[in-house]
Amino acid sequence: MSGSAQSQSTQAQRHENDIAIVGFAQTDAHVRYDGPEVVLIMECVNALLAGAGIERHDIDFTIAGSCDYLSGMPFAFVSNVDGMGAWPPVYESHVEMDGAWALFEAWLRLQMGDIDVAMVVGSGKSSPCNAREVFHLQADPYVVAPLGLDPDAMAGIAARSLIESRKATETEIAEVVARSYQAAASNPHAQIRSTASVEELLAAPYDMAPLRAHDVSPKADGAAALLIARRDRARELTDSPVWITGLDHRIESHHAGLRDLTDSQSTRTTAAGSGVADGAVDVAELHVTHAHEEIILRNALNLNGSTAVNPSGGPLAGDPVMATGLVRVVEVARRIAAGEAGRGVAHASSGAALQQNLLCVLEGGA
Amino acid sequence: MAELQDIDFTLEYPYTRTTGPIIGPFLTGLRDGQILATKVGDRVICPPLEYDPDTGATVGPENLVKVGPAGEVTSWTWVTQPTSKHPFEHPFAFAQIKLDGADTTMLHAVDAGSEDAMSTGMRVVVRFRSERLGTINDVYFVPGDEPPEAPEVADEAEPVMITEHLIGVRIREPLQPHRRRFAEGLLAGKIIGQRSPADGKVHVPSRGYDATNRVPMTSEHDVEVADVGTVTSFTEIVPVQYHGQTETEPYIRCSVLLDGADTTVGGIDIRDISVEDFRVGMRLQMVWRDSGDRMGDLDNRGYGLNEEVYERWEPTGEPDVDPESLKEHNF
Repeated sequence: MSGSAQSQSTQAQRHENDIAIVGFAQTDAHVRYDGPEVVLIMECVNALLAGAGIERHDIDFTIAGSCDYLSGMPFAFVSNVDGMGAWPPVYESHVEMDGAWALFEAWLRLQMGDIDVAMVVGSGKSSPCNAREVFHLQADPYVVAPLGLDPDAMAGIAARSLIESRKATETEIAEVVARSYQAAASNPHAQIRSTASVEELLAAPYDMAPLRAHDVSPKADGAAALLIARRDRARELTDSPVWITGLDHRIESHHAGLRDLTDSQSTRTTAAGSGVADGAVDVAELHVTHAHEEIILRNALNLNGSTAVNPSGGPLAGDPVMATGLVRVVEVARRIAAGEAGRGVAHASSGAALQQNLLCVLEGGA
Repeated sequence: MAELQDIDFTLEYPYTRTTGPIIGPFLTGLRDGQILATKVGDRVICPPLEYDPDTGATVGPENLVKVGPAGEVTSWTWVTQPTSKHPFEHPFAFAQIKLDGADTTMLHAVDAGSEDAMSTGMRVVVRFRSERLGTINDVYFVPGDEPPEAPEVADEAEPVMITEHLIGVRIREPLQPHRRRFAEGLLAGKIIGQRSPADGKVHVPSRGYDATNRVPMTSEHDVEVADVGTVTSFTEIVPVQYHGQTETEPYIRCSVLLDGADTTVGGIDIRDISVEDFRVGMRLQMVWRDSGDRMGDLDNRGYGLNEEVYERWEPTGEPDVDPESLKEHNF
């Protein structure tokens, strides 16, 4: 990765509307966090502000992504504002989506030009519920959701299509998991500590055949946060801004019968819209909640051996639901800011079987 | 003394949705013994759509055609441990099924008995449940080709215009640490607050953090406050007799600033002081239940004082506090 950092560090002409990430933070992926979700957010936001050397009153706009269903607390997203700092009164917004979509709204908002700095938070406390009994509600409410057909079951169906169309093997799917676990060994925030070999993984029983339990991301409680700023303010705030050069998201039909579950057409369209292929991709963090999805996404993004995919271990080593997509952005930004990579892609997904996909293309350089 | 329990509840709501010109006939068909699709250009789409997925053009009921009752499995997964939302309590398959006459697949459940009975390309056929309500769950599939018996349909059955879906989530979690200490305090006859390390203000009940200063608080910040305080605000509630209402007589809800606290406890019921005698600034004393009668059913969501630990609040007889001094506490 570091080899291309220099070549990517071009002195690109930045437009005043260009927006950069100037700070980031994430919590551990907790199997169960004992305290309130608000404190989880507070710890993350406090780390973010301390790291960026900025005060809460320097932030013009705050937006969060979370899901009230997970904690069974209607309007939990309102109390969550306490964790971001509700006083003095804050100009804020919320999406009932992963924090990566909150980043999308904040990025659009800053391009209006009247404010300079936004804070983006993604958080989830899913441990009180069985997430499978929540997320089937994202499906068509007439002909799918009442079946309780959850994302893990949809993933099982998609994985079988992938295998039977010879686009992947069970061994390749196990290799994704083994590689994720190896990478997670150096990620202090990861939830899973495992050295399982491909052979050991393949020996495990099926759950949602042809998937196995380890092919499904372990749900966690956690939060992620980042600060973004317009060009001039970004350069004041940090010597290592990470520029958002492309950000786009697309969704596919709610009618699974109209989709090709062995490909991700919306990722291909999003990649074109965000300019993924306009430069080398040193690092890609992909929102892989089911192991075979990494294979679909690598193909849709045309990634080859020169890209480090999920060097954090990815969601298969820890899935803080509703923050997981934003964590991908944090992981790529962290590597670019540290000079370990020059250019990278963060991917977030929502809905069953990669129904909706977001790509954020990031680049270093002043 | 009562034992503190982990939290376990189900939050659920019945969702009712109008079905419209295409889904309505589709669900009516499932109830009455047939599967309908829409013919859109050269394609037959099942489950049907109200629009052409390529152009968005409206597709009307004149485009409805019958498909099935059998078809082919194009992909599937085996559910070994069904969730509470699944159509079967025993292991089964979710499958994509391309019904005879359709060009797209439909997602549904196959009651195959065992995983060995499933394979891609196998034939499956619909079965109608004996109780049908006009939902996607009126049917399921089984291996084979044998046509279903025609279900009995009531002569006067109306078309399905509304479909109902009870959604719910079961929440199970321990009391959060600050709530557990607060609850244990109440059961022991003590009111525990937390003093913010940032500004020294005492929060009762505490939420486990100081929101104003963005500071988490832990057991080292716990302090005991008095069970006597001052009314800062109140309202008289005259119960409206809606469905499920159990209150019949007017009562008072008030906020009390306990001595030693900087935040008020809200939502305290007053049932034995008349509204004519009640006023901001009045001094009140909490009268505890006997320790054996105090309940421990505190959760992580409420912010009030558990009403299951006191009998009532009664005037202390002390002179009133000047209401002007309570302006910062009127919630």
